[in-house]
Amino acid sequence: MVLSQRQKEELNKAIADYLRSNGFENSLEEFTKEAKIDGDLEKKHAGLLEKKWTSVIRLQKKVMDLESKLNETEREFQSGGPTRERRSAKEWIPRPPEKYCLTGHRSPITRVAFHPVYSLMVSSSEDATIKVWDYETGDFERTLKGHTNAVQDISFDHTGKYLASCSADMSIRLWDFQTYECIKTLQGHDHNVSSVNFLPSGDYLVSCSRDKTIKLWEVATGYCTKTFQGHREWVRMVKPNPDGSLLASASNDQTVRVWVVATKECKLELREHDHVVECVAWAPESAHSTLNEATGAEITNNMDGLEVKKGARSGPFLVSGSRDKTVKIWDISTEVCIMTLHGHDNWVRGVLFHPGGRYIISAADDKTLRIWDYKNKRSMKTLEAHEHFVTCLDFHRSAPYVISGSVDLTIKVWECR
Amino acid sequence: MSSEGADVAAPVVDVQGDRRWMDLHEQFVADSMNKEPDVLFVGDSLIERLQYSIVWSEFFEPLHCLNFGIGGDTTQNVLWRLENGEIDNIKPKVVVVLVGTNNHEHTAEAVVKGIEAIALHIRSKQPSAHIIVLAIPPRGKNDNPLRAKLSKINELLKDKISAIPDAEFFDPKAELIQPDGTIDRSDLGDFLHLTPQGYRKYCKPLADKLDELIVVED
Repeated sequence: MVLSQRQKEELNKAIADYLRSNGFENSLEEFTKEAKIDGDLEKKHAGLLEKKWTSVIRLQKKVMDLESKLNETEREFQSGGPTRERRSAKEWIPRPPEKYCLTGHRSPITRVAFHPVYSLMVSSSEDATIKVWDYETGDFERTLKGHTNAVQDISFDHTGKYLASCSADMSIRLWDFQTYECIKTLQGHDHNVSSVNFLPSGDYLVSCSRDKTIKLWEVATGYCTKTFQGHREWVRMVKPNPDGSLLASASNDQTVRVWVVATKECKLELREHDHVVECVAWAPESAHSTLNEATGAEITNNMDGLEVKKGARSGPFLVSGSRDKTVKIWDISTEVCIMTLHGHDNWVRGVLFHPGGRYIISAADDKTLRIWDYKNKRSMKTLEAHEHFVTCLDFHRSAPYVISGSVDLTIKVWECR
Repeated sequence: MSSEGADVAAPVVDVQGDRRWMDLHEQFVADSMNKEPDVLFVGDSLIERLQYSIVWSEFFEPLHCLNFGIGGDTTQNVLWRLENGEIDNIKPKVVVVLVGTNNHEHTAEAVVKGIEAIALHIRSKQPSAHIIVLAIPPRGKNDNPLRAKLSKINELLKDKISAIPDAEFFDPKAELIQPDGTIDRSDLGDFLHLTPQGYRKYCKPLADKLDELIVVED
């Protein structure tokens, strides 16, 4: 710290005053000589050192008090007052306004995805690039270039070490997410590749295409090991179930299909949407009890005190979103649609179960995100999310964040409360 | 003015030397590879500028549209673009056409032939699409020979277009000409191109029509 000449003199005089008033005469004499203090000590220097000594601490305390008060107010401002109780992770939902609005892509955003470990997310765009962002700070990290046409989907393996992407250039690319290098390019589809996902084990990829097929790829070798045929048109999305034994797919042929990975057999064909099915997602285990409540299964105790579920459904369950503007929930074991959610005013482009299982969240061309309390068959919250079609969303598995991407070229990070 | 040639496909000659027209056409072809529009707009600057107007985001954007308009295009240019890949990979439910105001070399009858050729080409490439040919809006502050030619084109188009299956001539009857015969700059800023207000008048009836068509289709 550098003091000005005037401040130095003042400090010296304050020290001299302190020495004198405390009877340190010898020190005072020496100090006056060494510090070359000339002239008398004025009245204003009386007790100055002690005053400064105590006031610094007083100010420090005051700053700390103010800081904690500010934090409290900020929290209140975000959660809407101390009276509203804090929601648990099971029930938190995204709240407006968005925490960040990220710009940089030059064409519509096609997909967004959270990194499973770090506070990173990736976005893909029709501008043929993938961008990496930090969703906690809102910082842009880098751009992954390689595809030569619109990137349609992106997906991490469960470790987050690898990223897979697919594109209208008909290829799938595998990226080392530690070096950000493209380590493999998988060719085999004959048209636009719309969706790609890792199987939960991480050693296989599954993709689907406008060429009407679904393909399984071995990550280690890059070979296509299986092709699933049956859809009559463009396959928009494919998602493996949590143990990797089944695949669910959505298509322009208006069906949702479930496939057995081991045998390539199309186990069932769900036909109830009236238009292109854009998206599909498996229900997590956490949703099963709510799904049963929603469909009116009675849970009672029998004579031995054990829980008996009358009419209970065992699942697995799927949710799908369509250009017919609806979201549908399906019970795969009985092959029926158990619920249709109406509310969106245009094509539904993305749909997911809330990690807590109680809600469904969807993105649509009506520019909104909707949160569905499906147990009560109602849309419980609508976020006016973007200025153009909302094409995609992702829900973090454990942190309170949702991200959405849009044709308006922006990505938004929403904090959940 | 020539009484023929408006129905002969031809690319724009790049007299300015920046290749803009061909670049745009190639972009449209690329868009048509990946996108699935329900409505396709094709034509000249009156179509092109529509996408920057407020009515576009309000009325048309939610319907999933593509806009293949290029300023200055004549019927020959639009026909050439459609014959060269712009509608080979899409399946729109409705195709909206507005062109003809730039065909200064051609008589009304010739322009009608050109527009008819465009509609017929769309019909052959897109057998299930509904075709809407829009009435060409008037131009010039006061009455003039060009206005007379355009109204003659519109008059002739009615019969020609309705003879094509699932095609219609659509006049929004936007009343862009004031009772005293002048055109107001609040509607056509340069007495040719529509302003946001002009587009609202001209496009609202079309938007209602499209809503009807798309809902019925759904």
